[in-house]
Amino acid sequence: MLLYLLQQLINALAYGSILGLLAVGYTMIYGILGLINFAHGEIFMIGAFSCYLFVTIFNLPWFTAAFLAITASVISGLALERIAYRPCIKKGGSVLAIFIISFAASIFLRYLFMMFFTDERRAFPIPPFFEKMYFVGGIVVGLRDIIIFITTILIMLIITYFIKYSKFGIAMRAVSYDKKTANFMGINSTLIIKIAFIIGSMLAGISGLEYGLSFGIVNPGMGFNPGLTGFIAAVLGGIGNVPGAMIAGFIVGIGEVLFVAILPSIYSPLRPLFVWILLFFILFLKPTGLFRPNVKFDGGWGE
Amino acid sequence: MKRDEKSIKNQWCYYLLVFIVVIIVLALIEKNLKGFYLGIFLLFGINAIICLGVTITNGYANIFSLGFGGIMLFSAYVSSLFTLPIQYKASFLQLPEWLEKAQLPFALALFLGAIAAVLASITLVLPAFRLRGHYFILASIGINIVMANLAVNLRSFTHGPLGIRNMPFATNVWWVYGILFLTVIFMWRFTHSKFGRAVITLGKDQTLASVMGIDVVRYKIYAFIVGSFIVGLAGPLWVHYTGAMHPEVFGLVFVFQIIAMLIIGGLGTISGAIMGAGIITLFTHLARPVQEGFRIFNLQVPPLIGLIQVLMAIMIFLVIMYKPEGIIGKNEITGQSLQSIWLRIKRKEKEV
Repeated sequence: MLLYLLQQLINALAYGSILGLLAVGYTMIYGILGLINFAHGEIFMIGAFSCYLFVTIFNLPWFTAAFLAITASVISGLALERIAYRPCIKKGGSVLAIFIISFAASIFLRYLFMMFFTDERRAFPIPPFFEKMYFVGGIVVGLRDIIIFITTILIMLIITYFIKYSKFGIAMRAVSYDKKTANFMGINSTLIIKIAFIIGSMLAGISGLEYGLSFGIVNPGMGFNPGLTGFIAAVLGGIGNVPGAMIAGFIVGIGEVLFVAILPSIYSPLRPLFVWILLFFILFLKPTGLFRPNVKFDGGWGE
Repeated sequence: MKRDEKSIKNQWCYYLLVFIVVIIVLALIEKNLKGFYLGIFLLFGINAIICLGVTITNGYANIFSLGFGGIMLFSAYVSSLFTLPIQYKASFLQLPEWLEKAQLPFALALFLGAIAAVLASITLVLPAFRLRGHYFILASIGINIVMANLAVNLRSFTHGPLGIRNMPFATNVWWVYGILFLTVIFMWRFTHSKFGRAVITLGKDQTLASVMGIDVVRYKIYAFIVGSFIVGLAGPLWVHYTGAMHPEVFGLVFVFQIIAMLIIGGLGTISGAIMGAGIITLFTHLARPVQEGFRIFNLQVPPLIGLIQVLMAIMIFLVIMYKPEGIIGKNEITGQSLQSIWLRIKRKEKEV
């Protein structure tokens, strides 16, 4: 039984890292703009799906394709900010209007991909290098799980360092805490918003690649569920708190996998319910999340 | 404003005249329209009812909820369990005996569906007290997903992801437009009653409302009860029009479509909701043949499934950017406003 649980825990690490990376993007953008970037799940999808396209259509080697895919998701995130969000914020649109725009952007991107490539599930190309398995004392450990976990931890350390000590990171936290005062202090908030979108979309793209590697399936509709789960992790970690979001991503991912593993198999289709019930519990008992949120908490509406 | 007796009498004559004309038009439509066009007409009515119901919570009370998909799903399943043929229920579903034998007329099933929707809306009301803004929107999306997931997993009641079919096609012009008519009258009276004004004030500014002596909690509950009752009437109508049901019908795409109607028409007015429903219903039906691919001058245009949603997203974006209050705006279209527009046009003609 212990062995079984340990095995499940190892399987959960990859899923937890996917959610953690997604949650960081959400928490950054929410902290700075005060909006749920609903299209974040679609940027995640673009990361995975464009890698698939580059490999199968242009016959590029996998690592080049992965690099291009991350670039594609960064570009789409920036384009989203430039075309959809910035004009709306400039016009003084209400928070609701910006939310609806992000909802529309999400549907737009998803159905644009469905329109050209249909919603079939396709096999994600996994280089043979990743397929190796190790047997450690009765537990199977896939090399790709280890690689996913280690890359994620590395990226998270870098991001934490960046947020905590670099000039832009400090400015970012300042904008996230209080935009107006930060502007008075001479921080260029437009640039900071851009940087947040670049980092967030990059992390979403990497997370999409990891999703493709660990599940082996991509389709244009794949971003919806991980996207929402990632946002739940961001809420759990305390909005605007980057290290909190990472830890919460792992908590949600591991919790979801263990929920399926421990309960009898009849309940495993109820997997989506677990996340949402968790969300309700968080929001009712401790709406600020497990860790200290880095926004002036006003119940979400902002102005 | 003082009204003399004569004008009130005139007003009644006017309303009666409109009513009779509407009845005649509906009768003509029911007799002459068939197939595709009748479908558009019915769906327009159903969408308008949904939009009106959602307007109460999202527009008047200003609690932006996306949870109406889950509520409609629940009401549709409840009502269809009471109207399905008994043999079908016996062979595909495992129901308790009283439910398996139950066979109600459509009107009663419709009413039961609406009551079920009100009960289901408790799941929305509870988060609405605690949460605001984005957190509430997220929780309401969660309700859609939870309801759909339950519908997939409670196989004995819903036949799982395969869905149920063989519902009697009970929805016709009279049902849809009768309910729409009553809803419009109800909404009109609601916005001018003590309840409605309290709900609207609450939507404008919650603190102000509570200072003015409005019990915020109570009126939030009222708004949700009324809104979900109307939405719950639309669910059974929809299902008994299509005759089939599966857990994903009222999923996120459907919710998006309704939000598109409300935003394009204008959130918070009766005429806006109806206008938006008309525009989007017509648009989706006109764009469907394009989406499924066609031939033009020996040139095969491939099917582009999803074109409708893409165009709808662009429409929403344009409306929010250039006319954030929707096509109708904040002012209701009434007989009086039409009259004043008519008078203005007349005056201009005279000047020219």
